[in-house]
Amino acid sequence: MSLPPNLQEIVDDFASMSREEKLETLIGYAESLPPLPERFKAARDKMEAVPECMTPVFLAAEKGAEGGIHFHLDIPPQSPTVRGLAAILANGLNGSSLEEILSVPGDFFLPMKLDEAVSQQRLHGFTGVLAHMKHAAVKVSSE
Amino acid sequence: MSYVHPEYLVDTEWVAAHLDDPDVRIIESDEDPLLYSIGHIPGAVQVDWFSTLQHPVRRDFLTREQFEEVASKIGITNDTTVVFYGDKSNWFACYALWLFQYYGHENVRILNGGRLKWEQEGRPLVKEVPSYPATEYKAKGPDKSIRAFRDEVLQQSNAKKPLVDVRSPKEYSGELISMPNYPQEGAQRGGHIPNAVSIPWAQAVNEADATFKTPEELRALYEGKGITSNEEVIAYCRIGERSSLTWFVLKYLLGYPNVKNYDGSWTEWGNLVDAPIEK
Repeated sequence: MSLPPNLQEIVDDFASMSREEKLETLIGYAESLPPLPERFKAARDKMEAVPECMTPVFLAAEKGAEGGIHFHLDIPPQSPTVRGLAAILANGLNGSSLEEILSVPGDFFLPMKLDEAVSQQRLHGFTGVLAHMKHAAVKVSSE
Repeated sequence: MSYVHPEYLVDTEWVAAHLDDPDVRIIESDEDPLLYSIGHIPGAVQVDWFSTLQHPVRRDFLTREQFEEVASKIGITNDTTVVFYGDKSNWFACYALWLFQYYGHENVRILNGGRLKWEQEGRPLVKEVPSYPATEYKAKGPDKSIRAFRDEVLQQSNAKKPLVDVRSPKEYSGELISMPNYPQEGAQRGGHIPNAVSIPWAQAVNEADATFKTPEELRALYEGKGITSNEEVIAYCRIGERSSLTWFVLKYLLGYPNVKNYDGSWTEWGNLVDAPIEK
């Protein structure tokens, strides 16, 4: 099974990086996450409060003109790791079809060896955001 | 009324005045490990709860020898004043402090307000990672008087002695077994250890600037729930990080003589076959 090409490229890039390059690149992704478009802000404000340990991740999906799905995210700057992981997913998946998104396995990130940089435990943020994205993609596709 | 051991706290002003003090080492310990790379207090080193302080294989902390290596690498001696600070109201800073105490480092402080207050005051954050000449650190302990294991937690529960569950109310009630989207830190069962009282950790800090509440407020909070200084107290949460903040408050700010952190916490208890659970 193959990943959407953009995501595959990111995975391959990370696989060849040193620990320091991974850290810097992840920070770069965290900083590159665009602000949430105005049209989603009302929905974000209605978002249910999350338990205290968790980083609040707001995520919206919409269908682009070309038919692919696009994700919009709002994650506080105090949580650069989750921002970085979510930005990688958004960059890797934006424009993909529902089928492509649903076929991304939950452990797709293992070859990136990001645990060298941010530890195994925190990488489950990837699984969480991906599950969230799949859910939102299904929902927007059925609308 | 003041804190019983105010010497365990320093404020941002004090840290700013000791940035170049060779007898002081500032350590950042965060929930989010990238924050240090984005910017930290000048001269501060990073000690990450997961990648630095955990045993590489077992579910445990570093051994004493491994801890000595970490301490030597950040260039501290047994006399260095070590100041911890971090994100999320100093959760992980308290966790790291607790582990330094476990291995006998006595001279420890928490930067009151942590990373949040330092940022709010517009104080400098730098990306430069400092390096210090390595030392030959000799650890002591471990000091098991501050760490509780499951058997003594069971005894404490059976004897109806003070147990403090510092998780959020929904975790205490069992409505939430683990954080949504965080399956790795989950448990098979939800609820709390029988006879534990619920005092969420966050009630001990001011949300606005991450500083600790006043001695009066803290005393009212814990004594109001029957957690007093005359008995041994055990605090727990999910993996032991939030409860080390509560441990710090009870032990140093309120001066309770016997306080332990149960670091196995809910991720151990909620998976333990035959362990009693209350919902």
